[in-house]
Amino acid sequence: MRNSPVQSPVSSPGERSRAATTRASTTALFEAMRPDLLRFAQWLARDRSIAEDIVQEALLRAWRSRDALKDPAAARAWLLTIVRREHARLYERKRLELVSLDDALEVPDHAAAAGADAELLTLRHGIMRLPIEYREPLVMQVLGGFSTEEIARELELTNTAVLTRLFRARLKLRGLCGPSPAPGAAREEQPA
Amino acid sequence: MICEDARLLIGADPDTAGQELEEHLRACDGCRAFREEMGRLNAAIRRALEEPPQMRVARAVRAQPAWREYALAAGVVLAMAATLAVWLLRPTDTLARDVVGHVKGEPESWLSTHNVSAASIEQALTSSGVGLDLASDKIVYAQSCWFRGHYVPHLVVETTHGPATVLILRHEQVKARDDFHEGGMTGVIVPAGDGSIAVVARGHGQVDDVAAELRGEVHWLPEPAQPPEPRHH
Repeated sequence: MRNSPVQSPVSSPGERSRAATTRASTTALFEAMRPDLLRFAQWLARDRSIAEDIVQEALLRAWRSRDALKDPAAARAWLLTIVRREHARLYERKRLELVSLDDALEVPDHAAAAGADAELLTLRHGIMRLPIEYREPLVMQVLGGFSTEEIARELELTNTAVLTRLFRARLKLRGLCGPSPAPGAAREEQPA
Repeated sequence: MICEDARLLIGADPDTAGQELEEHLRACDGCRAFREEMGRLNAAIRRALEEPPQMRVARAVRAQPAWREYALAAGVVLAMAATLAVWLLRPTDTLARDVVGHVKGEPESWLSTHNVSAASIEQALTSSGVGLDLASDKIVYAQSCWFRGHYVPHLVVETTHGPATVLILRHEQVKARDDFHEGGMTGVIVPAGDGSIAVVARGHGQVDDVAAELRGEVHWLPEPAQPPEPRHH
């Protein structure tokens, strides 16, 4: 009877080379996503340094679980989900210093904002001021590209609850900007 | 599909599509205009989110002496006591302000043009322990809303002068009629039995006729067990 070949505890040079290549491509993939993750985290946390911490921690977690990522095309959604969970976890375990939004928000340069950007600035401030229960699904949908069903699953809500929150988020923002006249609209609507 | 459902779907996702929705949109000018407006708003939201929010650089957090924590705690207690005192001594016009605030929080209620089903009106009223002998074909919006610790009927009634919002407040007593102009709206709160009725219209709309009519039509039913307060995330 022939013995089965003994497995060497030391990987071969070829295996080491393949592993190094995989690590390098995963690192490159994660780093390419970092600006998107940071922007997503900033809209959730409303604080640049906290967002950087969240993204750093999320990338560490992602790196440890990188074997779970089978399809690189799904990396963005996977990483955004980890960032969202890390943001939620941060608020569960830490008592963060609360800073007034008026203090934290950069005051818009009215001279620069005098043009068409004024409405955009108002909208950005409006989004910042949305309560987290409205801001989170909105950012997940618009910035993250998540479907209503995916958001419901991630936030552990019913589909109807997510629809309602997204609807109310948009109505609140619409209230800020005022309804724009619809060309050919059947009736003129007044802001409430 | 009714307008209420169509607008919920559109407001939640302006890019949403579906056979039932498309059929409704073909027949409803108002919802079609709402989708166009939501589409423009969504494009603006997308542009707004493209850049990260502009925040000031976070300030360094220094270790603070213990006495500051005690001072902070004392300040919080004082603030809570002051808030409680203000709340207990609040003037009636705070009620008017809350009514207007609530109405402004549901701008979609003004958009409704379709009559609400009698069953929906009944549901909004009876869940708050309110009976109303008003012709249902005048009511274009009916919800049961959380207001000052209770669910109350929130109706929009079509009048010859335009829509008027009605909140029937069985838990809010007012001694006398209170007319107000607040946030671009005209309104009145009138006593009704042990409670009151608030009627609000945009601009300088007519509210007297609606208030007078409703005052004679509202009656209080045995108060049902209140469903739990809406939960927030």
